[in-house]
Amino acid sequence: MARVWTGVLVLALALGAAVPASAQPADPIKIGVIQPLSGPVAASGNYVRMGAEIGRDWINARGGVLGRPIQLLIEDNKSDPKEAATAAEKLIVRDKVPILMGAWGSSMTLAAMPKLEEYGVPMVVETSSAASVTKRGNPWVFRISPPSEMEALGLEKYMKDFGVKQADFLAVNTDWGRGSATAFGDLLKRSGASVGATEFMDQAATDMNAQITKIKAGSSDTLFLTTSVEQITLVLKQAQEQRLVRKVITTGGSSSPSQLIKQAGAAAEGTYHLLFFLPWFPEAMPDGKLAKAFVDEWSKRGHPFEGLTEGFRGHDGILTAAEAIKIAGRPDPKAVRDALWRVSIMGVNGPIKFEKDGPAGKESGQSKPSIFIVEIKDGKIALPAFVAKK
Amino acid sequence: MKRLGLLVLLGGAAAAAPAWVWNPYHLHTLIMAGIFAVLALSLNLLLGYTGQLSLGHAAFFGIGAYATGLLTVKLEWSPWLGLGASIAVPGATGWAIGRLALKLRGAYFVLLTISFAGVASLVSVNWMDLTNGPLGLPGVPAIEIALPGLPALSLRAKGAYYYLVLAAVTLCYLVCAALIRSRIGRALIALRENETLAESVGINGTHYLVLAATLSAAMAGLGGGLYAHYTRFVSPEVFLFSYTVTMVIMVVAGGKGTLAGPIVGAVIFTVLPEALRAIASWQWQMLLYGMLLIAVLFFLPRGIVPALQERVK
Amino acid sequence: MDQLYQHLLNGLLLGATYSLLGIGLTLVFGLMHVVNFAHGEFYTLGAYALFAALAGASVDFFLAIPLAVVLGAAAGALCERVLLRPLRGESIDTVMLVMIGVWIAMQNAELLGWGGVAKSVPTPFSTRPVVLGSVSVSPLRLFVFGVSGFLILGAHLLLARTKLGRAMRATFQDRETAALMGVSIERVHTITFAFGAGLAAAAGALLGPVFLLYPSMGDLASLKAFSVVILGGLGNFVGAALGGLVLGVAEELGAGYISSGYRDAVGFLIIVAVLLLRPSGLFARAERVG
Repeated sequence: MARVWTGVLVLALALGAAVPASAQPADPIKIGVIQPLSGPVAASGNYVRMGAEIGRDWINARGGVLGRPIQLLIEDNKSDPKEAATAAEKLIVRDKVPILMGAWGSSMTLAAMPKLEEYGVPMVVETSSAASVTKRGNPWVFRISPPSEMEALGLEKYMKDFGVKQADFLAVNTDWGRGSATAFGDLLKRSGASVGATEFMDQAATDMNAQITKIKAGSSDTLFLTTSVEQITLVLKQAQEQRLVRKVITTGGSSSPSQLIKQAGAAAEGTYHLLFFLPWFPEAMPDGKLAKAFVDEWSKRGHPFEGLTEGFRGHDGILTAAEAIKIAGRPDPKAVRDALWRVSIMGVNGPIKFEKDGPAGKESGQSKPSIFIVEIKDGKIALPAFVAKK
Repeated sequence: MKRLGLLVLLGGAAAAAPAWVWNPYHLHTLIMAGIFAVLALSLNLLLGYTGQLSLGHAAFFGIGAYATGLLTVKLEWSPWLGLGASIAVPGATGWAIGRLALKLRGAYFVLLTISFAGVASLVSVNWMDLTNGPLGLPGVPAIEIALPGLPALSLRAKGAYYYLVLAAVTLCYLVCAALIRSRIGRALIALRENETLAESVGINGTHYLVLAATLSAAMAGLGGGLYAHYTRFVSPEVFLFSYTVTMVIMVVAGGKGTLAGPIVGAVIFTVLPEALRAIASWQWQMLLYGMLLIAVLFFLPRGIVPALQERVK
Repeated sequence: MDQLYQHLLNGLLLGATYSLLGIGLTLVFGLMHVVNFAHGEFYTLGAYALFAALAGASVDFFLAIPLAVVLGAAAGALCERVLLRPLRGESIDTVMLVMIGVWIAMQNAELLGWGGVAKSVPTPFSTRPVVLGSVSVSPLRLFVFGVSGFLILGAHLLLARTKLGRAMRATFQDRETAALMGVSIERVHTITFAFGAGLAAAAGALLGPVFLLYPSMGDLASLKAFSVVILGGLGNFVGAALGGLVLGVAEELGAGYISSGYRDAVGFLIIVAVLLLRPSGLFARAERVG
């Protein structure tokens, strides 16, 4: 009996010792990364991770930051806000990271945000699109991805070329999908077009036939589709099966058109996609050389080409974080936060510079990323005619 | 005698935790373990003592979290009243489920609870006007203790919140213990062992099941309220099936039908994923978790606490 | 009106997939009383096995499907032998928790092995839809519908008309008597579980090409399967088949005419209604097994 309790005690002590024992030598500067690496959006989270790793390796190849290499501490938020908050806590408290990048989905990011304020550590938001992320008055949040409203503005100048009279919305039933439907709905009204039906699909749903049948019965000429590439594939295939004829525009930047061509085939023909990176035309990016180098490195590592449209977010996020640490002169969270306001660099997407967003006195940082449109024509990615002209 | 000494030691360690747990991240883990202990105790009331399995228990957790979240964020109620609502609203819901279910037992009751949780989840995602939908409710206020004449003591600090959770766990444990030892408890156990026989001596199965369901739901709701004021963010993910699964794991692996089992299960299965996070890279964490779970149940099929109790004899 | 016909067609096709998921589970849950949370994982295994056979070994599509089914059945037999048999006398909750562990382990092993990126399975069918009046459907889905019907019929016949089927039904009705009559109880348990797993793998191999393959694809499948089993009545084969169709049509009509966001709620509410009004299942009048 005594043996059992001794065993339990030893085990408890061992666990207790093992957990903080991984305090490593202070040489590398650690950056925390929180992404959904398992669950329904595991692919996207992993692409961001891969991009982040390229960013890290390039920075280290150039000598690191402040003479020290950077190290990424990667945590899986399992698409669960509770996990995102716990991961943030662990990275901040146990690993003492001066800055974080994360957490992909808006709910996960919002859940981690109170931890940032509690401990005073900044986070670079690389994907979330909910407006509230930068409007909540959290001065530790710096976003390089566009909120849906900004994305809609990016489409505004092409509205006449698209000639939309009435559009339907089919969006994933999350803050991202709903926010996008609202933002683009407002855009339509501003441009003199009208909104038809607004349908939603559950994030894990695979059968969208009901929604498609409903949309088909309406009289719209365009369909705005906001979800990740897997569901877009299914929607396009099911739309083809039901012979739905519409102009399709996907929003959100997670449509991975190369993967769509591979998996949806002819069903993807003629569709338009709003993206934040053009891996097929890197020269068209604001920094063509950097974009091309990123594309080349990505394929050199054997990563799937389809992941580039999301992977660049990880690269730009780490680049931003490292730059901030450099400007700050030391890996101290508050200094890094102040330094973020002075960051002005060129990422794969384009210029990264933060402007104030949100309630006065507690503003978050929001950058203005570049937004692009592509078309799938003849089984290949092309710049739409009216875009190439401008 | 030895057992009493051990209990005192553990109790003292638990009470003094903020002092010797020097790492706030570990304290965070203990707070989560405490919240889950409340949840596990609540599920154990149903599963361990009436023998009915609820696979929708996350629904009561979620309703409790939303009850206090909505009242404190939208109507600016005091968090203490919010906590009260997080007990009362799920409790009322549990009562309604119990009454509706009436004659349902076994697999049918399980599926009713799953369906109920499914509907609750969908409502929280789709009823934007009420719940803010997928965007959730950020900014749930922290709990404060404001006694007249004294400065308000905010329970935002981890150490303070830990004591609140510890108090809640102790309260729930005592309630369960008192219930089990009372006439009600004996009736529940009689129903669990052999319902027809119990009914034949005049024990009204439905009446006691409804009572157990109400208490169980109320307790789970309290867990939800504690969660809401700790993480200060409520979103539809509180209805995730994985929360229910976690509760079930804690109760069954800890030892259902015992009072210490759920608490032990809650601590072990909250600490375990965090320990795995420390020692294994993210690709292997959940795989190891699944394998460990299989192993624990395979070698200790009645749960950890009953196995330890066997050893003590 | 056209919209209604298309909705009904969608519902039937969707319902057929639910039926396929349900019939495998109704044996395991309904007869063996194993709360098999890993049911969806055998479904996923079948889908990935098909993918591996097609992509890795260039097996013919129509041969790869039975291969996937056999693999699923084998995995089921292994699981029963190694995990379930030693735990035979234990409480239903303990077994349930072991299956939860299997669920977590299998899904994360798949994530580790195949990665999180969804995979699509190429099929020999054309993508041009078949037009029937005002509704249209893809040839692939017609094929899946046909094979599902065939599998359901075949399984039903096996249970109702063969010696093995009788042995299975006898074992789960009254173990001692069955044993006295010379039935090998151990073998029947293994075969029943393998049968259930094989049917789940068949569903995965058939539905994988219709949708996409990703490690968590089995979660939704498990949930629908449990719903179908209760709708149809535990252990009731025909009930599960019909229950799946009912669930599919109801969900489709609910999503089409009420709200797409609350789509799954329709299914849940039907289940709640059935449970409260007719708890032994919608089709309890049908034969108890098969």
